[in-house]
Amino acid sequence: MSTAPVAAPAPERPLPTPTRESQPFWDGLREGKFMLQHCSACGKVRHYPRPVCPHCFSMESEFREAAQGGAIHAWTVCHHPFNFFFKAAAPYIVALVDMDAGVRVNAPLRGVTEADLKIGKRVRLGFEPVNKEVTLPFFVGD
Amino acid sequence: MAHPLREAAAISGIGETAYTRGTPKSALALQLEASLAAIADAGLSPRDIDGVVPYFPGGGIAEDFIANLGLPDLKLSLFVPMGGATCVAAIQSAAMAVATGVCNHVLIAVGRTGYSGARVSTRLQQFPQFALAAEFEAPIGMFAPAQLYAQGARRHMELYGTTARHFAEVAVVTRQHAILNGNVVMNKPLTVEEHHASRMISDPFRLFDCSLESDGGAAIIISRADRARDLKKPLVTIMGVAEGHPESPASIAQRPDLLEFGLVKSAPRAYEMAGVGPKDIDVAEIYDCFTFTVIRQLEILGFCKTGEGGPFIMDGRIGLGGDLPINTHGGLLSQGHVVGLNHAIELTRQLRGEAGRAQVKDAEVGLVTGYGDMGDGSIAILRRAA
Repeated sequence: MSTAPVAAPAPERPLPTPTRESQPFWDGLREGKFMLQHCSACGKVRHYPRPVCPHCFSMESEFREAAQGGAIHAWTVCHHPFNFFFKAAAPYIVALVDMDAGVRVNAPLRGVTEADLKIGKRVRLGFEPVNKEVTLPFFVGD
Repeated sequence: MAHPLREAAAISGIGETAYTRGTPKSALALQLEASLAAIADAGLSPRDIDGVVPYFPGGGIAEDFIANLGLPDLKLSLFVPMGGATCVAAIQSAAMAVATGVCNHVLIAVGRTGYSGARVSTRLQQFPQFALAAEFEAPIGMFAPAQLYAQGARRHMELYGTTARHFAEVAVVTRQHAILNGNVVMNKPLTVEEHHASRMISDPFRLFDCSLESDGGAAIIISRADRARDLKKPLVTIMGVAEGHPESPASIAQRPDLLEFGLVKSAPRAYEMAGVGPKDIDVAEIYDCFTFTVIRQLEILGFCKTGEGGPFIMDGRIGLGGDLPINTHGGLLSQGHVVGLNHAIELTRQLRGEAGRAQVKDAEVGLVTGYGDMGDGSIAILRRAA
């Protein structure tokens, strides 16, 4: 006898739960800014946000606005919606981008066809409010 | 001087349940059923087990093993939270425990209801290691391993010309091996055309590039080598074993090189401990959550250079009778998904000469890998002792 698979999660958009470390990043997106954590001691950028600089171990940091352009490092095209929320959008391209600011961002790439995808292709960040608190990033061709 | 862990421990017992899609049993029941089978295989009594490493999360915890098996004096309870790298990394932990005399017989056990219970995208939410993916990637539509690992596979294709035909080769050969094994979920032949026609999950991964969601349990026992010699089955010793953690371990996206897994660090250490190299390996059981993952691990393991994994696996090389038979049981792609403990079990069978129709002739030295948790990598090199 077999039992039925457990029902999939309800189709609500998964939303980020900002931490004390990452809150300024999410606040920045809401204001249309790409805010990145920099070490106050050695100045190096780090992403995703965390309490300690892995280069000099300083716990002092500040968020600074960063450039919104970058180049494609890799991508996938999501066909199977592992969360039902994304079923209507599938297939959708998710581009992993080397930002000019020195970190990577993973976000949906819009207005570009699969045939035009290549490593190094220039893209820039866009900002999509999904509710009062949360704005999510996406990319468009540059 | 030889490493103190080299051949200090052995795999003395192996056990599995049926691998199925659908079961009325709990993950704990599957885990205990496999454990009892492993204990019987070793010729031990449940009372002899004094260390336990349950796969977590899912299945039982040490307390369940004490309560169900009546363990009189459990001396070691461990979790090894490394996703798909857990089971082989646990061999290192268990070998350390028996080599130092803390334990005599350590049980490593998996119970999984991957088909009849919660599916992968739900299960992963229990992993603290997935917190970054949950915060930064799930909201933009990326969360499942098939999505997160797909970008690295795509990059390998773009940089080195690896193709879907190479991916298909892994799937097809693995299926051929599965058909020789009586205990598998997928027992019908698979062709390259069927692979290419299967639906796209997350480009470049098609359905048949992805491992199974299945139900089952598996268990092994690690004993001190001198004690294992007196047990029921031929002695299979652990020559070398290691775990490795990549840079940016909880975020593939931020990893400087998407293709540098933990195995980059652990494989050289395991070879050094074992005193052998890739040329000495007769059979390899490679963690196959995705077809591409096998190709990349073969490169990291030194069987070929980076970028050459695709061509390397073609022309029968990884099939039975080839230079390097891999996943002779059918792997996670075709046998069943018990987080790769079935790979360690199959390697033990091969080295004992118990692999039946999939037996690699004169297999003496083999390796098994684990891969998971965004890229942790574990490896054990085993030998049939004289």
